[in-house]
Amino acid sequence: MSDLDDFKATYFDECSELLLELEEQFAAIEDGDRSSDRLNAVFRAIHSIKGGGGAFGFQTLVGFAHAYETLLDHVRDGRIELNEHVTALCIRSNDIVADFIAAAKEGRELDGAYGMDEKMQFDALTSGEDPDTVGEPLEEFDLDFVPVMVSLPNAEDEADKDFADALSLGTDRFGEAPMTGGMPGWRVRFAPHSELYARANDPLLLFRELAGQGEMEVIPHIEEIPALADFEPFGVYCTWEIILRSETASKASIAEVFEFVDGNCDLTIEPLAEANAPEPAPSFSDLADLVKPAPKQPAAEAPADNVLSFADIADALKPALKAQPVMPAPLKPAPAAVADHDENDGKNNGEERRNGVQSIRVDLDKIDRVVNMVGELVITQSMLTQQMDETLRARYQELVRGLEVLAQTTRGLQDSVMAIRAQPVKTVFSRMPRLVRELAAKTGKKIRLETIGENTEIDKTIIEQLSDPLTHMIRNSADHGIERPEKRVAAGKAEGGVIRLSAEQAGGNILIAVEDDGGGINRERVLQVARERGVVGPDQQMTDEQIDQLIFAPGFSTASEVSDISGRGVGMDVVLSNIKKIGGSVHVKSWTGKGTRMTLRLPLTLAVLDVMLVKVAGSPYVIPLSSIVETIQCARANFSRMPTGAQVLQVRGEYVQVVDLARRFDMHSDRDREGRFVVLCEAEGGVKIALIVDDIIGQQQVVIKSLEENFQSIEGIAGGTILGDGNVALIVDVQGLKSSNNPHKSAA
Amino acid sequence: MEALAFKDDLSGNGAQAANSLQLIAFSIGEQTYGVEITTVREIRAWNGATPLPNTREFVRGVINLRGTIVPIFDLRARFGEGQTSVTKNHVVVVMSVGEKWVGILVDAVSDILTVSKDDIHNVPEGNSLDTELLNGIVTHESRMVGLIDLHAVVSGARVDG
Repeated sequence: MSDLDDFKATYFDECSELLLELEEQFAAIEDGDRSSDRLNAVFRAIHSIKGGGGAFGFQTLVGFAHAYETLLDHVRDGRIELNEHVTALCIRSNDIVADFIAAAKEGRELDGAYGMDEKMQFDALTSGEDPDTVGEPLEEFDLDFVPVMVSLPNAEDEADKDFADALSLGTDRFGEAPMTGGMPGWRVRFAPHSELYARANDPLLLFRELAGQGEMEVIPHIEEIPALADFEPFGVYCTWEIILRSETASKASIAEVFEFVDGNCDLTIEPLAEANAPEPAPSFSDLADLVKPAPKQPAAEAPADNVLSFADIADALKPALKAQPVMPAPLKPAPAAVADHDENDGKNNGEERRNGVQSIRVDLDKIDRVVNMVGELVITQSMLTQQMDETLRARYQELVRGLEVLAQTTRGLQDSVMAIRAQPVKTVFSRMPRLVRELAAKTGKKIRLETIGENTEIDKTIIEQLSDPLTHMIRNSADHGIERPEKRVAAGKAEGGVIRLSAEQAGGNILIAVEDDGGGINRERVLQVARERGVVGPDQQMTDEQIDQLIFAPGFSTASEVSDISGRGVGMDVVLSNIKKIGGSVHVKSWTGKGTRMTLRLPLTLAVLDVMLVKVAGSPYVIPLSSIVETIQCARANFSRMPTGAQVLQVRGEYVQVVDLARRFDMHSDRDREGRFVVLCEAEGGVKIALIVDDIIGQQQVVIKSLEENFQSIEGIAGGTILGDGNVALIVDVQGLKSSNNPHKSAA
Repeated sequence: MEALAFKDDLSGNGAQAANSLQLIAFSIGEQTYGVEITTVREIRAWNGATPLPNTREFVRGVINLRGTIVPIFDLRARFGEGQTSVTKNHVVVVMSVGEKWVGILVDAVSDILTVSKDDIHNVPEGNSLDTELLNGIVTHESRMVGLIDLHAVVSGARVDG
């Protein structure tokens, strides 16, 4: 992979994060939060997308983002009101930006007209409000600055000026000396910090870019350069003043040049007070004067290190200053902070926020390796602990203590590693508002999405598997659940339906629910269709609960006609199989006329499983502890025989299907019946199943290993794991055993 | 398809003279078989395996190979000659088949052979199991060495499949 590909991959990663951020910000804005923080965050996101896109030459994306950005800029300035119309336009535009990014990622071109409507609306809005925005300096004019501008040089040290001219980057490099023919102009003061250089920025490149906007003169201020002996290699001693004359340049366009060094330099951009006046290089005394009439500058705004270094420089310069009557004024021209207050505010906040949650990008494979090894460590540790019997305990107390500490540390390590993998469900929830908007538009229904508990954290692998099932579930709710507005009104409900997406942690599980306030499941119709399609036998009687679960059966769909949203009958069974794959379960509950709730029960992590270790025909098997209800000695269990000869177990008045694992797995058990054990398990939907095993060894934690990685899936087995003695134990698939023994219910 | 995959395996072996082939030879009873050396990952003594339910008799089970689960195929049983009665002297040859790692249970590993590709003969038609499981036959020091088609050996392991 080339470097460029790497950069691109990083860019697309960032884009998806930025899109999430956009979605989040607009959710708050829609809820009425119009604070400038939100707008600034949106602006930054779009700007970053545009900037990166430009670097890779995604022209359509950049064009659109630019128009969008312009609109946002106007909104931020208050020139355009952020009303519902504009918000809606922005949200639509976020989706378009997402599509442009997706297209760029896949290297395809979108239809040329795509997004044009919105772009025209941007242009209409921005130009309608303010026809001359670009190149209209007055709009950007900051009145605070006016008094500062009048001072003209008087105490010029000629020799100094010559020196400055000799070193000037200006006149020779960037064309003719500034014209004085009444062109509007800008004075830019640019004082880089050392970080600017540390980040490999080159002022010359900035100046070159700026020169493209008009006629430019660059005046370097080199007075600060100390004697060689005092010269710090990383010190910054040179600042510049730039006079730019141009009809078209605006404060914004100039600021844009310096955008990427923002925060790493002091920058002021002022309109030239008198465009006609000749504009010789101002001297230090000007700068000194400049500072005085700017009482607004809060002293604290100057970074401490800057102040220090300035003092240092002043000291260092003392010998030189004796020859010059000019005092070096602080090079951070105070008005910068005042003039750009709004912008800086937003950016500083952003800066802080970024500092608050510092993060690094780590390849998931690397984390997985750590997770795996920690898993092995946990197992080894638990094995060691098991080895400690009473005599050993009494004899080696230090060893026992050491093992206890090891246990704690291992636990802590495991928690920390899991925390690395854990992510808030927000990352997948935030994709849903767009889906709901699109569904609402397609179906002509009014649908509002509510999300609750989006900061609930869950393993990243599980999160990645959640997107498809949730999409299907929400589609289903929008398509089949929520009724048309007129029908809702007739039923005495609000015109707009609500889909509520919620997440919460419940013990070792995460519950994710998709609820709607629609019509509920039409059980008669479901049963009828299920019979037509042979999912349910013609005479089979089913409870309401069982009928509800039928919507997850493969090939089942109740939509009378296939819509392009859902209704091809491939939706809900995909949900079930995806969720089962990650060790979760799905439950649906419906209230006629009131709505439907589908709940996903998911494990917190996939990496470590609490299990009971058992023996079947001499081989080790493990059964997930989460599915075990109780264990009973066979001698004490109450078995009965069904007319067909099948065994059932009677437990507290309930009859439970019995599966002899040895027989089921076609292996020979040498134990007699009485010495064996019943492990009563609960499968999905509360259905119980009794597994007969030869022996129960104990409980432990195991790391799930895939059988499919090097082999293939095996019926009745959910995977493998490695025991403390290095042997492989197989994980019993309780769900699979139940369904394969009961073909009718397997569909449910 | 399998023959093609085998050739692909060969082409990956650039260090070797273009026309020769290095094989790991192993024995099952009196018979010698070989696999291309670059597919072999490791050779280890038989140390038991956890049996897998609902699989054919030639699947001896799974072992733990440094944290991953690797299935073991009994080559004798795969050729329809009944399960090997294993001892500590039996050997598992761990190989890569495509993306997957599998172990083949054999009686003993005998040698590393270098043969010319031109000397590889087609498997005579006749026993369908032989033509299915062998890619070709090569003669080495007047002994016949069957070239194992790993893809074929590991297929059809499940009772239902």
